[in-house]
Amino acid sequence: MRIVIAEDLYLLRDGMVRLIEAYGHEVVATAATGPETLEALLTWRPDVAVVDVRMPPAQSDEGLRAALAARAQVPGLPVLVLSQHVEQLYARELLADGSGGVGYLLKESVFDADQFIDALERVARGGTAMDPAVIAKLLAGGPSRRRLEGLTAREHSVLALMAEGLSNHAIGRRLFLSDSAISKYTTSLFGKLGITDDDHHNRRVRAVLTYLNRP
Amino acid sequence: MRQLRSWAASVCTGFVRACAVLVVSMLVPAVWAGAVALGIWWGAGNPWSWTAPCVLVCVGTPALSRPVCRMFRHLVARWTTTVVPAGYQEAGPVTRMSTGYWWNGFGYERTSRDALLDQKWRIRLRDPATWRDLRFTAIAPFTAGAVAVLPPAGAATAVLGLVRPEPAARAIGLLGLAVALATAPYAWRCAEPVAVRFLRASPAMALAHRVDELTAQRADTTVAQAAEIRRIERDLHDGAQARLVGLGLSLATAEKLMETDPDRARALLREARAGAATSLTELRELVSGISPPVLNERGLLAAVRAFALDSPLDVTVEAELRLRLDPPIESALYFGIAELVTNAVKHARATRARIVVSRDATGLVVDVEDDGRGGAAVRPGGGLAGLRRRLAVFDGTLEITSPEGGPTRARMRVPCGS
Repeated sequence: MRIVIAEDLYLLRDGMVRLIEAYGHEVVATAATGPETLEALLTWRPDVAVVDVRMPPAQSDEGLRAALAARAQVPGLPVLVLSQHVEQLYARELLADGSGGVGYLLKESVFDADQFIDALERVARGGTAMDPAVIAKLLAGGPSRRRLEGLTAREHSVLALMAEGLSNHAIGRRLFLSDSAISKYTTSLFGKLGITDDDHHNRRVRAVLTYLNRP
Repeated sequence: MRQLRSWAASVCTGFVRACAVLVVSMLVPAVWAGAVALGIWWGAGNPWSWTAPCVLVCVGTPALSRPVCRMFRHLVARWTTTVVPAGYQEAGPVTRMSTGYWWNGFGYERTSRDALLDQKWRIRLRDPATWRDLRFTAIAPFTAGAVAVLPPAGAATAVLGLVRPEPAARAIGLLGLAVALATAPYAWRCAEPVAVRFLRASPAMALAHRVDELTAQRADTTVAQAAEIRRIERDLHDGAQARLVGLGLSLATAEKLMETDPDRARALLREARAGAATSLTELRELVSGISPPVLNERGLLAAVRAFALDSPLDVTVEAELRLRLDPPIESALYFGIAELVTNAVKHARATRARIVVSRDATGLVVDVEDDGRGGAAVRPGGGLAGLRRRLAVFDGTLEITSPEGGPTRARMRVPCGS
């Protein structure tokens, strides 16, 4: 994969380049400020970009804005946002266009290199990768909790993992269940949430989006 | 009929009030008159005939001036709801020193009672309000007193005149009655403007009072800030710093074991990674406690919206304005809102909350309403008192109405220029 890395701290940027190259992917460009990020994303059109939220010059949410601006010009440009903090607000903004190919992870997710690269590849394929902390906050929140009351505990944990962006097979491995059991749970929870049947992959993204996008 | 009854009621209450104003304003002149009478009674030649009245006047006037002013303020506040602030100087705390003596801000005394007494008299002598009170007791009889005397004087004339058989005396009595009835509803009202004009704190006194208030606030803020810095320092020292030391140790051990015992080295590395993740989580919580990231990045309204998303309550945020305030004010308002909503969850068992941010002529207004069971009150040392203090630094205010059974409505108000 061709990857762009946008991160203002040299040590972290350098570490991530080495990590990604160790897994055999190619880092085509790096950026250290918001404007540089936008430019790099638009010139290189990478298979996936790793973007930090807070960047110079203003040290505010420059990186996130650059990523959103790039996705507005190149719909579906895969972006994995890394942040020191999880904010539902930012997760919603990323997912708002509904086209997938986004991720929002805490910075320490790079500690588990296998899972991080897995998430990166998932985003590159047009899937989603959401941090468990975002999902936990989301499922614990007031209005959504009421909507999720009809779900059993097992369906709830399947939905949480699905919202992180995992495939049925990966969910089965995490919960020590067979693939067929997982697909039974997903079918029943789609039914309870009123998500109608069309393209299978799209349905999963929509189950997540329904929750994240609620006003 | 009803008009007649209400008129009679206003005459009666007016008469009583006029009498009360008259009595209060005439207390000091009565002392003076008593002193003159005493002097005449002892007669010329007796040395007491001039010493005793002098002593009576010199002691009686200052002793009465403060109670008279207090009564006047009380009467005016009760009848007209116009509150005239007293503006007396407040006494500082009396503290016991290590020597066993008591310090009252002026000098040392052997017992706390002596210290308090000494402090009281010194403050009273220095207080400009004492001179203002004396001036008022001199002015009151000739202004409010002179007007308030009309109804009782008219009534007295009527009683004295109507019992006489002569027609002229009767006519004067009737005239007195008319004066008493006509002036009774209005005569006491003179007390309010007089009190407002002469009993109010002078600009210099108000300024001195404000300076005292600000000094106390500054001391408060300094103490709170120092405590906050100590808390952050302790959290860092006990949490992240200790964990990073542990991390370094694990890595050093793993490096050593890499050749001889790769399995243990791998386990140590895994442990080190978990430790690093934990210390990051701790640091993250610490940072959001000091200054939430969205507040820095997007400002108050976005931060409040983000907070509403994370809250276990059903929180709606209404704000139609675009604003960017000074960061300290934004932070105070954000933590204020967070505290009010958290209270609604923790103490009031609310299920819904509504936050409205608006602007009016005086500044920014933030309303936080919940559907909980109410009963919230500002208690000394409590969270709401702390919130009020934090807002006071920016001349902001906090009003709370929270009847038992709910709902609770809190309004924060901060003046802002733009």
